[in-house]
Amino acid sequence: MLVVRAKMGKYTLIITEKPDAAQRIADALDTKGKAKKKEENGVPYYYASRDKEIVVVPAVGHLYTVADEKTGRNYYPAFNFKWVPRYAAEKGAKHIRAWLETISKLAIEADSFIDACDYDIEGSIIGYTILKYACGNREKSSKRMKYSTLTKGELEKSYNEALPHLDFSLIEAGRARHEVDWLYGINLSRAMTIAAKNWSGMYATLSTGRVQGPTLRFLVAREKTVRSFVPIPFWSIKAKIEVAGSIFETEYEKKVVDTKKEADAVVDACKGKDGKIAKIEVKKFEQAPPTPFDLGSLQSEAYSLFGYTPMRTSSIAQRLYLDALISYPRTSSQKLPPTIGYEAILKNLSNVREYSKLAAELLAKSTLQPREGKKEDPAHPAIYPTGNLPEKPLEGQEKNIWNLVVRRFMAVFGEPAMRQSVNVHVNVNEHVFFLRGRRILKEGWLRFYEPFVRSEEVLLPEVEEGQPVSVKQVILEDKFTKPPPRYNPSSLLRKMEEAEIGTKATRAEMIQTLYDRKYVRDERIAVTDLGFEIIEVLKKYCPALVSIRLTKELEERMNRIQLDNEKRENILMDAVDILKPVIENLKEKEDEIGRQLSDAVKKAKLEERTIGTCPKCNTGKLMILYSRKSGKRFVGCTNFFKGLCKTSFPLPQKGLVRPLGRNCRGCGWPTVQIRLRGKRPWNLCFNPVCPLKEEWKKKVEVQDMS
Amino acid sequence: MKCKICPREAVEKGYCELHLKAYEIVVKKYGLWNKALEISWKEYLRQIAMNPLTGEWAKEVTEYLIKSGEQ
Repeated sequence: MLVVRAKMGKYTLIITEKPDAAQRIADALDTKGKAKKKEENGVPYYYASRDKEIVVVPAVGHLYTVADEKTGRNYYPAFNFKWVPRYAAEKGAKHIRAWLETISKLAIEADSFIDACDYDIEGSIIGYTILKYACGNREKSSKRMKYSTLTKGELEKSYNEALPHLDFSLIEAGRARHEVDWLYGINLSRAMTIAAKNWSGMYATLSTGRVQGPTLRFLVAREKTVRSFVPIPFWSIKAKIEVAGSIFETEYEKKVVDTKKEADAVVDACKGKDGKIAKIEVKKFEQAPPTPFDLGSLQSEAYSLFGYTPMRTSSIAQRLYLDALISYPRTSSQKLPPTIGYEAILKNLSNVREYSKLAAELLAKSTLQPREGKKEDPAHPAIYPTGNLPEKPLEGQEKNIWNLVVRRFMAVFGEPAMRQSVNVHVNVNEHVFFLRGRRILKEGWLRFYEPFVRSEEVLLPEVEEGQPVSVKQVILEDKFTKPPPRYNPSSLLRKMEEAEIGTKATRAEMIQTLYDRKYVRDERIAVTDLGFEIIEVLKKYCPALVSIRLTKELEERMNRIQLDNEKRENILMDAVDILKPVIENLKEKEDEIGRQLSDAVKKAKLEERTIGTCPKCNTGKLMILYSRKSGKRFVGCTNFFKGLCKTSFPLPQKGLVRPLGRNCRGCGWPTVQIRLRGKRPWNLCFNPVCPLKEEWKKKVEVQDMS
Repeated sequence: MKCKICPREAVEKGYCELHLKAYEIVVKKYGLWNKALEISWKEYLRQIAMNPLTGEWAKEVTEYLIKSGEQ
């Protein structure tokens, strides 16, 4: 029973995107600052008292989704869809039923509604679908709270000055995205899955989509370059010289020497000769402060500093936002408007010992003017610390990201840094070598961003033109050109941003899907055979669907809906027109596609179980196998079946076993990772006499003794 | 017809699309190796087959060329 509702009569029902946000909003709006928590069927909601009674109820992200009008999964094309509760369309979403029932009950006694979900496309869709379907078509009469931080002040303001209606342009844009993505995803994924199943009789989920296909295509293009790469030899020459009693390394004027003959000639000419300082070039340059973080640049910086994947950074930032410590993170803005209150934020930050001096320094400035970037977001400013301090000390990842956001925020108000570079030309028998130095003349903003500044100083001694130097050694280095680096999750995210495919809210998740589907593996993203086949099939039978240009055009059209320059219906009709002939073609070639994909799935499954080369026979492969008698899993060599090798090792029978794809650093044997629910994953080397195991045993023995 | 190296369909010169591209690169880069080191085609193949920076498909093509003696 909803006891509160029965007692209190009419109230305003506020809908939020997540439970944490509901509690923050309810506490902020309650006159006593402490809303009452209630619960029904495990669904929390909050009762706050203000100018009138308020009930705040959360969603848990999307409660509705796009689904096929017909039931069943084994057919395509599917062009008719409807919005349904998620529990009706997804296997793992049973809990959504209780959520919707509670919201619907609370809506009955409400006399006004406010959508307080995050102010972006996804948040707007969440609020809209709940108001329309769970609250009985209240979407047209509902007000909208718009805020960028979950601080009390901003929440009260956004409640008092709530927008009179929902942002229907944003909702239309969101609906278009979900519906177009559904049309692409369901039809292409079903076509591929059904083709593979009909050919092999085995079921394997194969998916692709409007953004997934073009993203995988980037990776495939890079993978092809890497796998076809042939290195080219070149040489570099260095000379060690002595200046003021110290030895310095200098670089030959030509960084790359193309032929061995030329390289040998230079070395021969310089060996045993002394040099003279021919010229000293000194350059000073200013380094402007960085721009504030938008989500993409925060993800990129967190990856390079801490190694966090974009998805992890996104979820840590979301956590900090829900704790009201930073502003809304899913923003593409690099602007910090004065309305956020620079001074108040810095004053609050000065209460943290680590930041007190730095914040005081900024507060002493006559004006606070942030350096801003070009990118804008109509709904939110760049990411900034709210000035609220953690209620309990932050630890680990949350501490790192908060510290990064705080320091970046302070840095954008700093003065430009001044750097100096020195290039000393050393002439050795008419060949020039460069001695390079660099130093910081004025720290400026670098002081605020100090732990995260990646630039080492190279200090040179006092030298003057004409000064003789002694050449201690001339070194010739054999080198080879390198293949372009594989993408990592961070550089792929940047590539997607540059190509303008996907949205800031979905890109990180999309990358994760490529891993989940086993189209790619490893941190330095390598495409699997399955990933190759998916792209080959799409390129061959529906090239338009993996075209980066067409995907970008579609993105632009969907963005125009937000500006009222495009209609959702037009885009949907065009999407169906594009898909119809493609799907017909896929159906016609189903056998051919099925064979191609089935082979790839088989190979992928085999690859998943292959651990590496057998360290005993060096020709077979170690694989995860299952005993016919006991059904237990173990590791065995493939040469066993040829009667050549009997190598086998036991495996833990519980948890997931995943080949690590790299050899043990102690003994070079292949390794696997074991993942057990609720436990930290651990890596396993099969070598019983691995030196690392010996070391570990000794450590344990010493610990036991002490 | 199958590719000389993998089970894919051959498209030209007996190679599949992927190995054909690698073959073309192997052939093209010989000019630069010859200029840099003045080495024979055979020696070039031997060198790139051993080089850890050579891509997987280029290596497969190279090993095939060494074994078969094809140009």
